[in-house]
Amino acid sequence: MKAMILKEFRELRRDRRTVAMLVVMPLLLLVIFGYAANFYVSSVKAAVVGPQAAQLAEQLPPYFDVTEVAPGSDEAGAEQLLQDNQVDVAFVTGTDPVLALVDGSNLFAAQSIVASLNKLGDQVSVQILYNPELTTSWVMVPAIIGLILTFIGTIITSIGLVREREAGTLEQLAVMPIRPSAVILGKITPYFILASIDMVIITVLGMLLFDVPFNGSPWVFALGAAIFLFVVLGLGVFISTVSQTTGQAIQLAFLMLLPQILLSGMIFPLDAMAAGVRWIGYLLPLTYFTMISQGVMLRGASFESLALPFAVLSVMAVVVFLGATLRFRRDLAPGRRAARRRAPAGTEA
Amino acid sequence: MSLLRADRVTRAFGSTLAVDDVSLVVGPGEVVGLLGANGAGKTTLLRMLLGLLAVTSGDVALLGGPPDRDRRRRMGYVPQGLGLYGDLTVAENLAFVTQAYGVAPPPLTGRLADQADLLVARLPLGLQRELSFVAALSHRPDVLVLDEPTSGVDALARAGLWDTIRAEADRGSGVLVTTHYMQEAVQCDRLLLLSQGRLVAEGSEADIVAGTAALAIRSDRWAEAFAVLDAAGQPVLLSGRAIRVAGGDEVRVGALLAEHGIEARVERVPGTIEERMLLLARAGTG
Repeated sequence: MKAMILKEFRELRRDRRTVAMLVVMPLLLLVIFGYAANFYVSSVKAAVVGPQAAQLAEQLPPYFDVTEVAPGSDEAGAEQLLQDNQVDVAFVTGTDPVLALVDGSNLFAAQSIVASLNKLGDQVSVQILYNPELTTSWVMVPAIIGLILTFIGTIITSIGLVREREAGTLEQLAVMPIRPSAVILGKITPYFILASIDMVIITVLGMLLFDVPFNGSPWVFALGAAIFLFVVLGLGVFISTVSQTTGQAIQLAFLMLLPQILLSGMIFPLDAMAAGVRWIGYLLPLTYFTMISQGVMLRGASFESLALPFAVLSVMAVVVFLGATLRFRRDLAPGRRAARRRAPAGTEA
Repeated sequence: MSLLRADRVTRAFGSTLAVDDVSLVVGPGEVVGLLGANGAGKTTLLRMLLGLLAVTSGDVALLGGPPDRDRRRRMGYVPQGLGLYGDLTVAENLAFVTQAYGVAPPPLTGRLADQADLLVARLPLGLQRELSFVAALSHRPDVLVLDEPTSGVDALARAGLWDTIRAEADRGSGVLVTTHYMQEAVQCDRLLLLSQGRLVAEGSEADIVAGTAALAIRSDRWAEAFAVLDAAGQPVLLSGRAIRVAGGDEVRVGALLAEHGIEARVERVPGTIEERMLLLARAGTG
């Protein structure tokens, strides 16, 4: 047995990825659960509209971070602010009692706001929009769609590519008269299609089983999903370029998946996280897809109001997908690039 | 005209030279054999010729230029690992390759035809190799590159594959084949012998073995004789019950056997390619 233990330690010492996992995972989990695992929302963004907007804004406790005071606006204007995800709660003055419109798609903030407003008794009439019963599944299903796309895009795609490397067929592809771009596109298109089908199934099932509404445009949703898929497929291609075996690819893909689950705002609200880890959440693509999917499905948000997550995801898609595919091309046939560099002009077809 | 050319090619991995200043040319209708022990640099050289590995220095050319897509279209490659999809059937594998080359799948014959709908992973190795050949030849390439193409194949199937190779050369293709089966080497028109990354001999079988001698030893106590010579560090090979010592000093070998009371007939004979390789390998490690 001593020999076995010794052998295992020697192997482990040389397996840098596993050692990294042994060191990084506990640290990551400690940091995440220590700083990010917080359901308590300490401050919410608020707007106050209507004739007494300025007075009410003065009277609200600091818990309400008033970012918009619009005496000239009305209930419709307040709703628009909520739909555009600019605030978590909007107070409409000029009625008795004051009307508080709460964004139910931001579950933890909404729960916190309702609890806070209930203390005020009859002074405020609370109306929860987009998720009136504050049902958890309504918020989770749009996020889970993103998680499933991430799973297929990173894990399944990277395994598919690494399997070619392991079987030696990648080398065969490299000597065939196929463009590297055709190899990559031909390889990821089936996963793109499968992920899209999965997305439709999960969305429809979520609506049928959990009564999750779909209030926005399916086209905006589909566009967001397509851009997000390019990001996660790019991550899958990238993982395949740094993995020699299926085991390594799965290891790396899980390392990328775990922070997305925990830090994208899907489970723990981003606003409640310590600033030290919140910025990680803002680097993750799932954070922005969740903004789009929840926005479209629950709030019926327009493309314009989701411009920021769309812009960030688009930049990520270009950078990650292009970077990964260029890396894949380089790995496919490094000798050919070198030969092209040396070849006199005009000899390359 | 050269179909495949390496010009003073070197490839280093760290401080190790896997291929060291090697040049070769393969012309039309020619079967060139690349010989060498395991680790001699054969596959590394092949990968550089195919553009799969960058050269550290020197130049390689496929059909007169870099291995771009148009030139690769005129090349067939059978890798050592076969390059087949185990979870596709015989027919599906062939359909994929022929589609990539833009040609119609050739009709399958013999046992492959019977197994057209069987998953490749379930085929015996011999048939997998045969399929790999059919796929590589489906577009009638001008250059055929074969890396240990008959490895793990029985003698009869091996003979069949060599018939195919010869037929391709007769059609005008240039063939570069790596092997460590010495029986196969004699089927090549020209041989290149690699040892520790360097090209150490080139020409026909006779050119390669020129000057190489061996001792053929016959004894009733052949097993003991082999053990004694091996223990004494002699470059000894066994073929059936016949012992051969590559190079070999008659006096020294005779003395070793006599010392152990083994009666034997020791005869100096011309050496083989295998014995030349054995001597080269020992010279390198010594």
